[in-house]
Amino acid sequence: MSVWEIVELARHPQRPYSLDYIRRIAPDFIELHGDRLSADDPALVAGIGTWHGRTTVFLGHQKGRSMKDRVARNWGMMHPEGYRKALRLAHHAAKFGFPIISLIDTPGAYPGAGAEERGIAAAIANAIMEWFRIPVPIVAAVIGEGGSGGALGMGVADRVIMLENSIYSVASPEAAASIVWRDNTRKVEAAEQLQLTSGEILAMGVVEEVVPEPKGSASANYDAAAEALDEALHRHMRPLLELDASELRQHRYDRFRYIDSLVHAEPHFGPKID
Amino acid sequence: MAILERHREQVAIQGGDLPEILLPTNCPGCGIGLELEELRAHNYVCTHCGHHFRLGADVWVALIADSGSWNERWADVRSHDLLDWTVPKPYQETVERLLEDGLNEAVRTGTCTLDGKPIWLATFDFGFVGGTLSIVAGERLARGMEQAASSGTPYVLISASGGARMQEGVLALMQLAKVNAAVGRLHDAGVPYFSVLTDPTFGGTAASLALLGDINIAEPGASIGFTGPRVIKQATYADLPPGFQSAEFQLAHGQVDMVLPRTELRPLLAHLLEMHT
Repeated sequence: MSVWEIVELARHPQRPYSLDYIRRIAPDFIELHGDRLSADDPALVAGIGTWHGRTTVFLGHQKGRSMKDRVARNWGMMHPEGYRKALRLAHHAAKFGFPIISLIDTPGAYPGAGAEERGIAAAIANAIMEWFRIPVPIVAAVIGEGGSGGALGMGVADRVIMLENSIYSVASPEAAASIVWRDNTRKVEAAEQLQLTSGEILAMGVVEEVVPEPKGSASANYDAAAEALDEALHRHMRPLLELDASELRQHRYDRFRYIDSLVHAEPHFGPKID
Repeated sequence: MAILERHREQVAIQGGDLPEILLPTNCPGCGIGLELEELRAHNYVCTHCGHHFRLGADVWVALIADSGSWNERWADVRSHDLLDWTVPKPYQETVERLLEDGLNEAVRTGTCTLDGKPIWLATFDFGFVGGTLSIVAGERLARGMEQAASSGTPYVLISASGGARMQEGVLALMQLAKVNAAVGRLHDAGVPYFSVLTDPTFGGTAASLALLGDINIAEPGASIGFTGPRVIKQATYADLPPGFQSAEFQLAHGQVDMVLPRTELRPLLAHLLEMHT
């Protein structure tokens, strides 16, 4: 498969979205709404469900399948209110000691005037910083598109995994082409340069595992895809449940602080540098 | 700000000592003919219209640090082209050429004093691949913040950045998390963090450390935002009003505490340091 074919698979309109997974792995899921400041962001679903016998907070970018639904979900592109809703639910999880699952599937945060007017940069900045303070286990999974700061704003976790045909990138191929070439039609070349496929991201040390998808990709078999994701999420979550809050926070800090330690750098980057 | 008068007298305006920068013959703000010595003495702010010229890291260090106090750290840190990025330009060559030109990555950091008070200073350099947040930039920022947090030394940031560096892929994106984790440590340690946003500050830099200061100070006329205007227009076909994403716009939308002329920055920082330590 070419890199661009993988990008298209990651964005396939029949690919399972967050709610397709959440309803399968936590059938009693209750969706909760609103950032308690001004609005609810439908591009992010948030709520609680019973997962392997434990109340768990689920967060996930949500795309729509019909045109009406896509517009309502804003193609999975969050506004500032979405990041504030996510943090509100993270604090809910912290209060009750619930673990958190975050499913990532977004081209990026919403690139529009309204998001800018309401402080999208600060909302993402604050979310990224706050995740490091949340004292409960967090496992994130990239299930489709992991685009830019909009994805990372939901991706600070103790473990991060990726589905086989998902992508994770500093910017969408279109945005990268627009920045580097000043021409967003160079998206295929940008995608090839960015090393955004799951195998490449794993090799860089940015995710812990790539979860294989069923024959014909996740789009072909929602149940099997959900089962594989559920098994991997749970396997990564289990050891985290044994850690106390300070161990978790230190581990999360170190995970991102030294995330580039596989890179050939001089002098070598890694823990315990003067 | 009358409260600053005392400091303005105490703290020497360091404009006379600033390194020379390349200037157009006429001010892009008002068209007046520019005279280097006059402009340099005025911190590279047009005396006629107040246009703030973009400054490199070396000029910012001279502007903020007390003379002779700058101790740069980790200037030798380097990373290499990890994605084999070749088009439209080989990334490794771009970086090597900039290093040869005397620039040293998109962020430089170190310790110095400001009005005699010890601080950590980090400054972006827009001349180095658009001041983009790279692995080296993130590493220098995180190391400095960790040391500032443990020593209790106030941290001052000058940003001028297009965001995360595309040519370093997802590891450039990860720098947002790496740096913000360290910003959290500064805040948890009760260490003052003053962030100065200059033209332009966008993307991953705005969406990480630049807007997380205890006090955010923007330069007049600076463009500050997450998504750049070109991408917003391409994505949404929106007409953006004049002044969209300006420092003044960000002040009106609650993102920065003040819009402050560069000539008043040093006295203000000195006063803020005194108030917070």
